[in-house]
Amino acid sequence: MNTLELASGLSGRVVVTLGGEAVAQVKDVVFDGPAGRITGFTLSGRGLLAGPMKRSLPFSGVHAIGPSAVMIAGETVFEDRDAVVGRGEAEHGKVLGAPVLTEHGTGIGTVADVVVETGASGRVVGFEILAEDHLDRRHRKVFVPRGEALAVSGEALVVPAHAQHFVADDLPSFAAQAEAFLTHTRRPGGGRPS
Amino acid sequence: MVMWWVWLVGLVALAVLLAGAAVVVQSRRRSGTVITVRRGRTGGRAGGAR
Repeated sequence: MNTLELASGLSGRVVVTLGGEAVAQVKDVVFDGPAGRITGFTLSGRGLLAGPMKRSLPFSGVHAIGPSAVMIAGETVFEDRDAVVGRGEAEHGKVLGAPVLTEHGTGIGTVADVVVETGASGRVVGFEILAEDHLDRRHRKVFVPRGEALAVSGEALVVPAHAQHFVADDLPSFAAQAEAFLTHTRRPGGGRPS
Repeated sequence: MVMWWVWLVGLVALAVLLAGAAVVVQSRRRSGTVITVRRGRTGGRAGGAR
């Protein structure tokens, strides 16, 4: 598994071409719920008084996501904003703060952030949630793996019930828990921990 | 006689307020979030980043 990172940490990251030119910065991180992958980024300008750009960066145009910058081959990879996210999608698709439910209808918290895998995949690995009593009495932020059949909209996130058994307190240990969850889920008859 | 510097101070304060408001407005316009879309299982090519 590649390095895991919080999606909100990508906001504000500078977009740099392979020629060394800083051309924009990341504004919103857009991911496809059913596919579970980053589809692209909306952009804003880099000047002090610069606002949102009308162009966006599809994930197919990303060369690499690094800790300091998002690298692209050149500005030719930019597309119209609607190619990544439409205006209506943006208004109704904000996932931060959405309630998290298990498939059995139990509320376990609210979405605090999205955990993504950097590198080539842009895969959504799980979610950081602000836990409710049922999951954690101290109401800490914990990490929950993403199910294969994830249902997510701007209104609610639904995770498999057994995902609660693969919760982690921090990002480094969450990587192992996410792998264990995937292994358990793909096992024949998987779905509940033994 | 002292009125001229009162006007000057007021003008500078107004300029600072306007500049601060402009910075706050622009920072809010540039601040980002995480958005989910539903574009099917083909959304986001896995081999996009090299």
